[in-house]
Amino acid sequence: MWFLNFIPDSLLQTVILGILFSGVGLYILGLFINFIPTFYPYKEPIRILSTLLIIAGVYGEGSYANEMSWREKVKEAQSAVSLAESKSQKVNTVIRTKIVHDKKIVHDKQIVIQKEIQVNEQLINKECKLDPVVIKILNEAATNPFLKPAGDNK
Amino acid sequence: MKKILILLIISALSGCASHQGVPVTVKFPDVPQDMLIACPNLNQLDSDQVKELSQVLEVVTTNYSQYYNCKAMVDNWIEWYKAQKSIFDKVGK
Repeated sequence: MWFLNFIPDSLLQTVILGILFSGVGLYILGLFINFIPTFYPYKEPIRILSTLLIIAGVYGEGSYANEMSWREKVKEAQSAVSLAESKSQKVNTVIRTKIVHDKKIVHDKQIVIQKEIQVNEQLINKECKLDPVVIKILNEAATNPFLKPAGDNK
Repeated sequence: MKKILILLIISALSGCASHQGVPVTVKFPDVPQDMLIACPNLNQLDSDQVKELSQVLEVVTTNYSQYYNCKAMVDNWIEWYKAQKSIFDKVGK
């Protein structure tokens, strides 16, 4: 019940127990009222009132216990979520570091290969005559096949 | 009187059952910005400038590098997703 959130727990528990024990006390009083003839006319109203107070007290105690159990569950869920968020941040940091590391490995390897090409440039070009068709075929192979032709909006 | 009493007891016990659920939501984490970069297109040869095989080789090896960068990115995506999903699923249980 939402309004329980605005009442301090200790006050709520005191009020509920107060209602419950008032009901029980009044009920016991109703049992002994037979021995006091002066109060006999009040017997029935006291029984009804005590029953209502006991029921209200039981309802209140049930609601209170239920509310406290849900609050505990919320606290547990919030702590699980914050733990997951912290783990998730760690994963992101690890992956970011790995991305930088992977890029560096690829870049370093590329530099080594480029140097190797430069060193062997004479040897590579010595006996090879490059036909323009080679460039055409390589460019065709390197063209993104998913690129849409100009004007194609599909 | 007994019927009213039973009704009142049932309504009293209903106090234990009324609640709307845990108001905590879990959001699937955002991916790091570094992983949202699309793979570039492969480099092409400039037919006016490329006259020798070494120049062709340079472009081809650069393209290989691009491929490996892209492969690393996809591998990292898979790793990121698996790790985050495992964390996310554990919270839901």
